[in-house]
Amino acid sequence: MAEAMLSIRGLRKTYRGRNGARANDGIDLDVAPGTVVGLLGHNGAGKTTLVNQVVGIVRPDEGSIMVDGVDAVAQPHLARALVSVQAQANVPITGLTPRRAVELVGRIRGGDRAQVRGRTAELLESLDLMPWADTPSQKVSGGVARLTAFAMTTVVPGRLVVLDEPTNDVDPVRRRLLWSHIRTLADDGAAVLLVTHNVREAERVVDHLAVLDQGRVVAAGTPADLAADVQGALTVELDLANGWRDFPTSLGEVAVVGQRAVAQVDATHAAEVVAWAQAHVEAGHLERYALVPASLEDVYVQLVGPERTAAAVGAPAGDEGEDHR
Amino acid sequence: MSVTTQAPAPAALATMSRPAAGALRATLLLAQWQLRRQAQFIPLLVVVQVFMAVATVIGYGLLVGNPDPATALFLATGAPTITLITVGLVMTPQMVAQARTEGSLDWMRTLPVPRWAFLAADLTVWTLIALPGMVLGIVAGVLRFHVDLSLAPWLVPGALAVSLVSAAVGYAMASLLPPQVAMLVTQALVFIVLLFSPVSYPSERMPQWLQGVHEWLPIEPMAQLVRSGLAHDTFDMPLRSVVVLVAWGTAAVAGAAAALRHRA
Repeated sequence: MAEAMLSIRGLRKTYRGRNGARANDGIDLDVAPGTVVGLLGHNGAGKTTLVNQVVGIVRPDEGSIMVDGVDAVAQPHLARALVSVQAQANVPITGLTPRRAVELVGRIRGGDRAQVRGRTAELLESLDLMPWADTPSQKVSGGVARLTAFAMTTVVPGRLVVLDEPTNDVDPVRRRLLWSHIRTLADDGAAVLLVTHNVREAERVVDHLAVLDQGRVVAAGTPADLAADVQGALTVELDLANGWRDFPTSLGEVAVVGQRAVAQVDATHAAEVVAWAQAHVEAGHLERYALVPASLEDVYVQLVGPERTAAAVGAPAGDEGEDHR
Repeated sequence: MSVTTQAPAPAALATMSRPAAGALRATLLLAQWQLRRQAQFIPLLVVVQVFMAVATVIGYGLLVGNPDPATALFLATGAPTITLITVGLVMTPQMVAQARTEGSLDWMRTLPVPRWAFLAADLTVWTLIALPGMVLGIVAGVLRFHVDLSLAPWLVPGALAVSLVSAAVGYAMASLLPPQVAMLVTQALVFIVLLFSPVSYPSERMPQWLQGVHEWLPIEPMAQLVRSGLAHDTFDMPLRSVVVLVAWGTAAVAGAAAALRHRA
């Protein structure tokens, strides 16, 4: 990995008055120029706290944050000049149109007027926002507002671009455009830190991943590294009929949520699992079954525990036709 | 990656971060941002200010009956101050509290702009927004009471200073107090400024203890500055009041700047 643009070591932060819960508990993280690093974690894992420390809104209790060699803890104003951030919450831009908002932010970020105007038009065009470009923002949908916020962040991108849940509320078609833009940002040389809980989509764009749980990095590596554990494993999904749940021991541990059961099996057992499931579909015990290769999402669920991921992972489904519990 | 759509290469801008725009340029752009965001409310703000001015001039006139010339001059020169102070002490904190609640303040703080530039931009915007109401307040007073004004050269800078200090105090209040508390304080301030401050009447009418309190608050100096600017033949601006006003302005700007720099 090239010299890191963002380098975080031993980052700790505890908010006062929240039962002393550690939002960040000793985080190490690097983001190199030209790469997208995905920071995964459920709600409350400490992702946004980490982002806020990088831009100097929150002060770490311990640890160091270097942005392109600048100490972001001691000199947040210098670090901010190198970073552009899309916050998790939508930036309210009532009174402005998406085009005006993007242009103004571009110029506030130091862009030259003509260049910013051109780049704004380009971004609005390629994110398919033209129909709303000159609509007062109080009349645009959440997804359009989200994409506008993305354009505001990247109209004059910092050397480090931090995107906190950029795809929330965005429709499936524009979401693809957005992922492609994020990849392009990195290919053009930016270091991109992508905070998300959308494991399935992020997996296709990121170069590295870090999984955050209770303020700690519980796993890090390339998507392939992380998925290595589940190579050769299959996920069996069963839609149960009438609460029937008589599973063979060969399925191992079965997680049942409502009428849905999920289990992991070795690929070598695929044929017998299919035979078993088909028999029970015919017997009326199962509505439907599916065998799919175990994914990064399964790894993620294993890492941070299924009980807390149900809400987080399934939330912004979109074009995947995700059918999670 | 399965995405096939083309994203444009951000050619010239690429990912080069450049030194943030000159601080002054950034301040003006931020002011433009804030002004445009408020633009839809400005007509409403002006209407509210007109009501304030009319309430002070005509409403008080009703309370006191047919005022003698001295009282009339007090009322007429107090009204513009009330509109100025209301914008700064009431509307500014409400907007700042709202910006904090809706998250736009935190987002702005991620921009590569010096902290004081936000303050400068916001104070500029609020100072400007307050001025139309002040002018209308003067007009209302003159029309109702037929008073003769004697404008002093420091009227305009004085009015700007009053507007600036009250906006700064309002900004500091909203930055330092929890948003909900700030909202409540502004409601209380409306009554304090309208009824219990020596703005539309001389301070001698207030109980001794309240006069004492007002010696240390910025409201009376603000009223004196505007009044002496509008009718300098009749009123003067005590040096002590200038000092009190400057002290409040300085403390408020320092407090608001500290709040903007604060890291949780």
